Amino acid sequence: MVRLLDEGLEQLTTMVYKSGEVAKSAIKTSLNAFMNSKDAMDEVRALSDVISSLTVEIENKAFELIVKYQPVASDLRIINSYMKIAYDFERYGRYAWDISFTHKKLGALGGCDFATDLMPKLVEKVSEMVAKSVKALREHDAKLAKTLAETEDEVDALYFAYLDQLSKVRKQNNFIICNLLVSRYLERIADHTTYVGEAIVYIATGEKISLR
Amino acid sequence: MVVNKVKIDIQDLNVWFGSKHVIKDINMGIKPNAVTAVMGPSGCGKTTLIRAINRLNELIRGSKTTGEIYIDKKKVYSKDTDIFELRRRVGMVFQKPNPFPISIYENIAFGPKLHNMADGEELEAIVEKSLKGGALWDEVKDRLNDNAFSLSGGQQQRLCIARALAVEPDIILMDEPCSALDPASTAKIEMLIRELAENYTVIIVTHNLQQAARVSDLTAFMYVGKLVEYGSTKRVFEKPESELAEEYITGKFG
Repeated sequence: MVRLLDEGLEQLTTMVYKSGEVAKSAIKTSLNAFMNSKDAMDEVRALSDVISSLTVEIENKAFELIVKYQPVASDLRIINSYMKIAYDFERYGRYAWDISFTHKKLGALGGCDFATDLMPKLVEKVSEMVAKSVKALREHDAKLAKTLAETEDEVDALYFAYLDQLSKVRKQNNFIICNLLVSRYLERIADHTTYVGEAIVYIATGEKISLR
Repeated sequence: MVVNKVKIDIQDLNVWFGSKHVIKDINMGIKPNAVTAVMGPSGCGKTTLIRAINRLNELIRGSKTTGEIYIDKKKVYSKDTDIFELRRRVGMVFQKPNPFPISIYENIAFGPKLHNMADGEELEAIVEKSLKGGALWDEVKDRLNDNAFSLSGGQQQRLCIARALAVEPDIILMDEPCSALDPASTAKIEMLIRELAENYTVIIVTHNLQQAARVSDLTAFMYVGKLVEYGSTKRVFEKPESELAEEYITGKFG
């Protein structure tokens, strides 16, 4: 017999998955534009707005389910975690937009100078983490979620190495400021992927762990 | 689940009613000064389990109990056990409020008189203390001679709790104490249960999962006579260890 709660949980799940896909797409669009010196500010803004409204809908639905059904055990873990994950996806979208905004405002569209090859590596790693977090969520795969911790360490190492290199560049210009901010946004996105990972582990196992 | 400090120690408990095996090999330690909730589908043996603690099952013809229950390390099922004294120490509150058809005062004074505990002013003090303990004193102090049936259902149930307290038990068994009450009366009883846990060992059988989650410190889940899961209420409601308990509390069966 299908429980009354199940229908609501299904709607909630659909919204969270959609938010994850849109967030992944926002980051992909933003980083592609950044790496290829293109303007994607408006497009990414639109995607980020979609995620923000989904976050509100997810929160409302989660509250409705809590009030109506007083869920416990795995049901409660899912609802609680989906609310957290929705916020993290919202941050993905917002940072994606911040990257596009910074990129455009600081005039780096004419051709990027990343100063070193660490930026492309950072972009690649973070994109990988975002995709992995969305995949682990769809499959409630705690094992995959836990692997985010290792990649996060790599991102941190790359980020600090990059900061170090930027600090040695003599001539300060907009490119440098842009790269500095973008690398910071990337580091923040990587952090949020680990929050998503932690929530997935909690859903699957009930364990509260730190992936940072 | 291992409980560090044990008030009631249930060991290898089995209960039969005729050929029906109702309680199967239950081992559990009940913590003092805490509320333990027992939940499970109808007919799983919850009520029989708590009625084994004060040997009420013996009143049913054809019942047989094996194993042992210790209260403060003393055997409950010993031929030396004074059953009258046992049932004074282990008070019970039932599903439907069952006040005696006499005055509010006499309902409370009944037990202490029966046990020759007090009379005169001392008895009056016990009545007042018990009604305060049952969170009913303020509502009835000016009408102690009214018939107990003039009280509302919720008040009657608190009277029954006060009546149980009057004989100074240290364990209180509650069998679905709120199932016949409205939400406001239920909330009052739940507050009272939490207060009682400060001085008594409370075991509550309930079908209301949210109630178990709200009032208890420990939760036991029973299924077809067996203890399937037992642990801190927070843990059982957040991440039950057994699939059966998970399915039951999330409403996937039962």
